[in-house]
Amino acid sequence: MTQLDSPPRSPTGGAAPLERRTVPLGRRLRRASMPWLLLAPALLVLAVLLLWPMLRVLNLSLQDFELRNLLRGESNYIGLDNYVQVLTDPFLWKTVLPNTVGFALVCVVLTMIVGTVVAVFLNSLGTAWRSISTTAIMVAWAVPALTGTYIFVWLFDPQSGLVISTLDGLGVMEPGSFNWFTNRWTFYAIATINVVYHGFPFIAVTMLAGLMTVPKELYEAAAMDGATAWSRFWNVTVPALRPIIAVCVILSTIWDFKVFVQIYLMPGGDGSTREVMNLGVWSYTQSFAQGEYGMGSTIAVLLTALLLVISVIYLRVLMKEDEL
Amino acid sequence: MNPRTRAGTAGRAIGVVVLISLSLFPCYWMISTAVDPSPLSRGASLLPSGFTLDHFRHVLVDAGFLRYVRISVIVSVGTVVLSAIVALLAAVAVARFRFRLRTQVLVMVLMVQMVPLEALVIPLFLQARNLSMLNSLLGLVIVYLSFSLPFAIWNLRGFVAAVPKELEEAAYMDGATWLRMFRSVLLPLVAPGLVATSVFSFITAWNEFIFALTFMQDSSKYTVGVGLRTFFTQNSADWGSVMAASTVITLPVVIFFVLVQRNLASGLTAGAVKG
Repeated sequence: MTQLDSPPRSPTGGAAPLERRTVPLGRRLRRASMPWLLLAPALLVLAVLLLWPMLRVLNLSLQDFELRNLLRGESNYIGLDNYVQVLTDPFLWKTVLPNTVGFALVCVVLTMIVGTVVAVFLNSLGTAWRSISTTAIMVAWAVPALTGTYIFVWLFDPQSGLVISTLDGLGVMEPGSFNWFTNRWTFYAIATINVVYHGFPFIAVTMLAGLMTVPKELYEAAAMDGATAWSRFWNVTVPALRPIIAVCVILSTIWDFKVFVQIYLMPGGDGSTREVMNLGVWSYTQSFAQGEYGMGSTIAVLLTALLLVISVIYLRVLMKEDEL
Repeated sequence: MNPRTRAGTAGRAIGVVVLISLSLFPCYWMISTAVDPSPLSRGASLLPSGFTLDHFRHVLVDAGFLRYVRISVIVSVGTVVLSAIVALLAAVAVARFRFRLRTQVLVMVLMVQMVPLEALVIPLFLQARNLSMLNSLLGLVIVYLSFSLPFAIWNLRGFVAAVPKELEEAAYMDGATWLRMFRSVLLPLVAPGLVATSVFSFITAWNEFIFALTFMQDSSKYTVGVGLRTFFTQNSADWGSVMAASTVITLPVVIFFVLVQRNLASGLTAGAVKG
């Protein structure tokens, strides 16, 4: 990451050093400490509430830390035993990891496709309809994950939800004959609809902002050369938007790996149906339902490590695009 | 108009209708369930079987949901006020000053947003328990402050950077101190950005669930998200009440969000970061 270490460019360019020499030393010192004074409260909060807990969770992951350790305030280091136990658990490889990674991948792909299609469509509209449609998808974005999840659970309610009632009306399925929430595949299908519904507006709005910057002349030139709409999309739009697409893909990946509320609040998602657990829910229930904080921390560390890898890729892409 | 463009116009009209109705459908279904006198026997009918405010009355008056709303409002407003002050100061620092480690600070602000809440909830719960901060509104405000700060700093940075430096220099020329310049020049000009950012902080705090669930164990301290769960029993849910309470939670967020969408969207595309 060479961009990280390069000194920030002076905004005033060549004139700055000349000017700076005339400023008295005391004032210069005061000016140098100014940004740190301004940053101090924010850095303090982030250090105490985000960085310190991250170190604490690492520390806990090396302990067999249960409720009694908490009550007596003792630590109980067991080295890497938790990691060995988690990483050799077939439950991780057969259930939790596929649920986390597979679900995230499907959601990212679907969110990107839906978001891009909507963005291209919005871009083809006139100003008035575009802003009305944008407001509508903003509503989809704004619905909190919490209530959004309950709405989808209600829509798919096996007894009297809209979906089963419609299927009953069509003569396909009887109400109550099948519980969508106890089957791994249908459970995650519903969760996918929920997450994609919540996630596509961000992609659409961001891609739309990008699309509007692509010069119209490029499309006209391509059309003159006889390119179809499809090939114009792949040969003009996609290359022009590559940086925005990269940022969208990585951010969606990070968000979809972290999905917790949308799973936890579905029937059986709080750990009572073990085969629908993902890493986040597993870590949470291991800690707060089983009282095994050490083991829960180990799972949390693994999830964080997974996200860290994606974040580093994200940063590299971002740093390549513009100076921070 | 030739047939081809007419077909295109018709296609676009259909597209708009489909897009708008799919986007709004979950919200519509929530509200129409909340006002339906008998939601469980509604079946596949798109219109509610009648209109009643009974579910709302039950939720707000009988079930005491207003108490949860009050707790959530206190926590969210507390978060907004603290986060606006702290984030604005930090944003001025990174947007207006060039100093050593500036890039590293920005990278850190970006990175901490990637940390999953599930990883933070364990150590912070243990810490809060040791400090007897469980069931404390202040404890929750401080935690939410740290979640909303990175996005707020990142977003405000763009707004501060957009204020022309010449305006500041003009204020200095007139003999203003830094503080005076901050109050009279910078603050009024970044106010729209501050509003948009505050709305986002409010939504972050209002919507948060994991920490509220873990920290607030006393039912008199439930936030709206945790309080919503009280309408579920072991095997069944009172969907009319759940959807009425969900409407109470959702509407303020949707209204705020749509109102500031333009500001927020420009900040998001500049920073491309969501909380």
